[in-house]
Amino acid sequence: MSHVLAAALALLTSAATTPVAGETVVRPGESLAQLAARTLGSEGAGAELLAFNHLQATPAAGTRVLVPGPERARAVAAIGSARSAVVQAPAGSARTEAEARLAEAESLLARARYAEAAAQADGAWKLLAEAREERSHFAVAVEPDGRTRVAVREGVPVRVEAQGRARAVRAGETLTVIRGEPPGTPQLESATSAPSAEPPILISPEPGLKLALEPAPGGLGPVRFAWKPVPEATGYVLELAGPRSQSIRTAQPVVTVPGLPAGRYRWTVRAVQPDGTLGPAATRAVQLVPGRIKLEVKETPWQ
Amino acid sequence: MLARWIPMALCLPLLVCAPACRRDAKAPPAPAPKQSVRATLAGVQGSVSVKRATGDEWQAAVNGTALYDDDKLRTERGGSAELRFPSGTVVVVSEDTLLGIAETRAAPGRPQTDVTVLRGAVDATLDRPANQSLTVGTPAATVRAGREIVFQ
Repeated sequence: MSHVLAAALALLTSAATTPVAGETVVRPGESLAQLAARTLGSEGAGAELLAFNHLQATPAAGTRVLVPGPERARAVAAIGSARSAVVQAPAGSARTEAEARLAEAESLLARARYAEAAAQADGAWKLLAEAREERSHFAVAVEPDGRTRVAVREGVPVRVEAQGRARAVRAGETLTVIRGEPPGTPQLESATSAPSAEPPILISPEPGLKLALEPAPGGLGPVRFAWKPVPEATGYVLELAGPRSQSIRTAQPVVTVPGLPAGRYRWTVRAVQPDGTLGPAATRAVQLVPGRIKLEVKETPWQ
Repeated sequence: MLARWIPMALCLPLLVCAPACRRDAKAPPAPAPKQSVRATLAGVQGSVSVKRATGDEWQAAVNGTALYDDDKLRTERGGSAELRFPSGTVVVVSEDTLLGIAETRAAPGRPQTDVTVLRGAVDATLDRPANQSLTVGTPAATVRAGREIVFQ
């Protein structure tokens, strides 16, 4: 009986001290700046945290504090976009008005008035976008290894988000994001594509081929992948995506894999450029099935 | 009285189910009922197919095919198509591409997107970015273009 009472007491104690989602408990010795950094990601957001909780001074250790949710994220995102647009905008009346609206949005954010802050920031962004009257044109490519490449051809910048971080990519720039990592630094497209902008020309296996192979160590084989040499390439990277995915570096434009499990594969080849970076990719699909290759030669009326 | 209603009650599910259970391989992909159209296909070239959110089969897509939440679109080598959104945004889908439309079951912590590219490439154009928006998701990132927040 005493065990049951003790367990119930422990449960009650736990429920009273464990913060629920959207809340946190002030730690002993924690300053307002530290609390703001821990909960909002910015040491300068202490006043905002106080405003959100209707507090006048730094809460004491052990105090439960509410943490804003998605409405703050929306406001912060809108302010980030407006800030990027203001930096890009040429001097003029539209920029001046947008700067004023952006300052008001930041002020509203500091007072935890998130919906109004988002509306002000969006208004600033729209003002500049309408003033530019440019269409937005961009491309998104997902490589076989999961990397994402964003290229902005023209118009207003696009925003690339990954792992809680965001980057603006402007016209003429490209950005590559590796899966599980935050976005890197945008590069000028001419810099990323030089010196060899052409992808390798693949030779074999033929596109979409169903290849009947005999059993071999590791599955079926051998499988020969070949492509035309790329000028100035110092090597190549062959990536196989399928039942057994792997990446193979080679100096020659041909790779023979002794055996692979049966199934569908996408094979991608990139040239290693003189500066060590990888060039554009060429990709094909091939299906490996067990069995002997049968050559059926029929009689033909043609001589 | 009860004896009259029991057979009718047993037949009702069959009547409701019969049209849905009929298979017709030549029929165009059936639209999902009671949903707003997210995008419409145009410029279909080569092998392009659609898998409905409620179905398991890939079916050939044609110009004018309406796409709804959670539908999938696939282009084979040499195939391509355009997604035309009601806002006027146009997304050109390249060959060897697999994408999802307005996935409602976004991964935890990931926002809902208009298009999720799982492999391959897309090329998007917003003629009036001040009044349009497009969010493209990929396994590695989320790309936002046009107006950040569209207030209803």
